[in-house]
Amino acid sequence: MTWDAEHLPQSLHLDRLALRAGGTGHGRLLVSELTLHAALGERWVLLGPNGAGKSTLLMAIAGLVAPDAGSIVLGERPLAQWRSEALARRRAWCPQFWLDPFPVSAWETVACAVLATDPQRDAAEVEQLARSWLERLDAGLLADHDVRTLSGGERQRVALATAFAQGAPLLLLDEPSSHLDWAHQRLLSRLLRQWSADHGTALVAVHDLNLAWALATHAILLDGKGGAVCGPRERVLTASAIGDAYGVPVTLTDDGDARWFRVDMVERDE
Amino acid sequence: MTLKPPPLLLAVLVAIGGMLLALALGLLSGSSGWGWPTHDIFWLIRLPRVLAAFGTGAALALAGALIQLVTRNPLGDPHVLGVTSGASVGALSAILLLPAGVPFGPEIGAVLGALLSMTLVFSLAWRSMGRGLALSAQPGTVVVLLVGVMVGAASGAVVSFILAVADDFKLRNLVFWLLGDLNGATLWWPAWGAAALSLALVWPRAHELDWIARGDAWAWTIGVSVARRRRIAILAACLATGAAVATAGSIGFVGLVAPHVVRLTGLRAARQLLPFSALLGGVFLVLADTVARTVVAPTQLPVGVISAAVGVPVFLMLLLRRRA
Repeated sequence: MTWDAEHLPQSLHLDRLALRAGGTGHGRLLVSELTLHAALGERWVLLGPNGAGKSTLLMAIAGLVAPDAGSIVLGERPLAQWRSEALARRRAWCPQFWLDPFPVSAWETVACAVLATDPQRDAAEVEQLARSWLERLDAGLLADHDVRTLSGGERQRVALATAFAQGAPLLLLDEPSSHLDWAHQRLLSRLLRQWSADHGTALVAVHDLNLAWALATHAILLDGKGGAVCGPRERVLTASAIGDAYGVPVTLTDDGDARWFRVDMVERDE
Repeated sequence: MTLKPPPLLLAVLVAIGGMLLALALGLLSGSSGWGWPTHDIFWLIRLPRVLAAFGTGAALALAGALIQLVTRNPLGDPHVLGVTSGASVGALSAILLLPAGVPFGPEIGAVLGALLSMTLVFSLAWRSMGRGLALSAQPGTVVVLLVGVMVGAASGAVVSFILAVADDFKLRNLVFWLLGDLNGATLWWPAWGAAALSLALVWPRAHELDWIARGDAWAWTIGVSVARRRRIAILAACLATGAAVATAGSIGFVGLVAPHVVRLTGLRAARQLLPFSALLGGVFLVLADTVARTVVAPTQLPVGVISAAVGVPVFLMLLLRRRA
């Protein structure tokens, strides 16, 4: 991926960000003070227990939820000052759930992300680009299928192809691996590495600790009570921090560059 | 299952052919049988009626397609917005209160009622049409639908009241109006005008309605002004519905089903769905009305009876054949 002037990657800066559930003033406090700087080419994973605010944080960065306090700055401008058309060329948001009320083919769902950010592009070229992104996500054979007939993992790959095809350097992926098998988790990991090698930035919510380690250069860990730790993955993804956040026993094996996490899934009576 | 739309040229030819055939059938058949009508019957009765039927069907189908898209709800129907019931209150009040023989009394009453209920729905649901972008996969426009249903329910109560206090002579007129009837529909152009206007309102950015149907929050993140598109589409749907109801009373079925039949043929993108739904709705209502006024001639049935009696089994057949 090479960026043209309109899609130039820009860094993301969160300054003392506070978020509440539902984006309203009286929702439960999810994040009380989060400050971070995501530079070009970094891959951030977002971890935390159910309801800790992973999706809300991604939606706040996407511009869909207003923060309770603090600021989000994309490039040199605060997020609230971006027009939605301009923002669409800078960040792509891949939600966790999809609801497809009407029949539509897989390539057409990908194509609308291309068309939205580049309306002047020729129709045949748009279709070709959409199909090539589906192929890159190993969904080329599904291009003409109705998205409503796809399996969970297939639909998810179509959604990921849509997010990549939008051509925005900042990717916000909400649990993109929740339905993916091992091979496709590896594929996602490879694509995200290429993305960041081209100076794109990714923020990815995940639950699988080992996948998180493999994907990430940096990590954010929300504890669900307002607290958050963030920084390079080595500092954030530790057995004690993860164990405290999720309330489970975690053992960690260091294997050179890799780190393996094991969560004891059997509760023992003491 | 793969999805391939039919060639557009073929679809256009079939649609135009069907339209001409339906208009010819409607113009050439009458209560006294089949054949070329006299000059006066043709120009003063049959042509306006056939054109009114076409315009009404087109406007309802267009409104149905728009509501289905922006509310992301396959069960969307022009009558869920409360405009139909509002127009009914206006028309029935006019029939009840005005002396017989006031020209276009019920029609003007229906237009006023439709405008009033539209204003009510819009002022109550204005904020919610812009809100509801984030935080869930649920359709963000549930509030509009519920407000529409509530305005409709309130108007329905007024309709019941009018029916209860009306004398026997007026009751027949009232009931026929409620059933949906093209008998005596002489003004054909308002429905055509409203259908054309509402199509023109949404046309420039019609493709964005497809994106909204795929997820309204997501559509916003790819740069669509979701709130504005949604408000314009609902306004267009209200205008089309109001004009259709003022022309022919409350005709069900066609607004819900015409868009689905068009989708079953593979014409799914809004730029195709909207015009072809309008054409199909118009053709369907012309045919239904032709049957309604000839099948037990000289008695004329309300067109709503025929549109449901023919349309429901045909639609179920199409739907279930696909699934099998």
